[in-house]
Amino acid sequence: MRVIKRYRIHAGTFAWILHRLSGLGLIFYLLLHIWVISHLSGGEKSFDAVMHAFGSPLFKFLEVGLVGVILYHLFNGLRITLIDMGLLIEKQKMLYIVAVIVWLISWASVGMVMISRMVLPALG
Amino acid sequence: MAILKFKINRYNPDDERRGHYEQEYELDVPKGYTVLDCLNDIKWKIDGTLSYRRSCRSGICGSCAMTINGVNNLACETQALSLKSDTVTIEPLRGYPVVKDLVVSLDPIVRGLMAVRPYMINKTPPPTDQERFQSPEERDKLEGLYECILCGSCTSACPSFWADKEYLGPHAFLKAYRFVADSRDEDARAHLEALDDKHGLWRCHTIFNCVEACPKGLNPTKAIAELKKEIVKGKVG
Repeated sequence: MRVIKRYRIHAGTFAWILHRLSGLGLIFYLLLHIWVISHLSGGEKSFDAVMHAFGSPLFKFLEVGLVGVILYHLFNGLRITLIDMGLLIEKQKMLYIVAVIVWLISWASVGMVMISRMVLPALG
Repeated sequence: MAILKFKINRYNPDDERRGHYEQEYELDVPKGYTVLDCLNDIKWKIDGTLSYRRSCRSGICGSCAMTINGVNNLACETQALSLKSDTVTIEPLRGYPVVKDLVVSLDPIVRGLMAVRPYMINKTPPPTDQERFQSPEERDKLEGLYECILCGSCTSACPSFWADKEYLGPHAFLKAYRFVADSRDEDARAHLEALDDKHGLWRCHTIFNCVEACPKGLNPTKAIAELKKEIVKGKVG
């Protein structure tokens, strides 16, 4: 057995790992989405049945998480696009911090709207 | 002076059954000692069987690149006390076949390097019998490209290389761009040919481990971005 310790993680490594994980998450979501939509071919009833299952509060909260995954992939993707165009490469760490801040702010604002729409009707 | 514990990853090809293992040494480290000085002290005073590469001990030859506390660097350019840790873990550069202890085979580096034809290609004879002229502005474009000492730190730190051992590696891209950007070079296509490949440029995921690892402070990711633009320009234009 080779005794190899963990290689030190920098901002760029961290950004990449999260980008990969969010990408895998999006692929999983896309497959799920196609599967749900495919129920349309089975008629109104089968589509309503599957949509009802996804209308539960658990899935509503998971949807907030999905928005977070999409927004991370979006904003870090823009950072990578800039880097690939040769822009701001020396400032990539700062660029990542900006991407994370924009991600968190946008996720928090969209998430708050989603949660308030979920919770407010329940409170009456 | 401080007593540091060195955990060194060891491997003896004559003792395959034992494989890779970790050995500990304790050393009184005076101020100003580099990690290479510490390794020398261990080898000369404690354990003569320890193997590692060294040559210039001043950051020029690139022989003593190794993984020190989880990050690639030159042992001769790392101050032992500035690591701010009582324990110093030293491993051979990962991703390359280990020959013995901290000595790795640099064949993967040479393979990637030769693929990009790392030499000036120019068929016209020089204007004088002494030199090919270059303006100061043209020379400035090579800044941050020509300084590479081929120590292998960048490619060994690259997750794309860990996953694909035929990946040419950031060192090869930096060297390729050094010649593509050179005003005296006449055949950029010859350097770019090997890069436009599934083991080439497109496997870079802009992780920046190479930039963090480079002991000379160079930026292979920037060179990769410029090369990508060159290839796209060549295809579109």
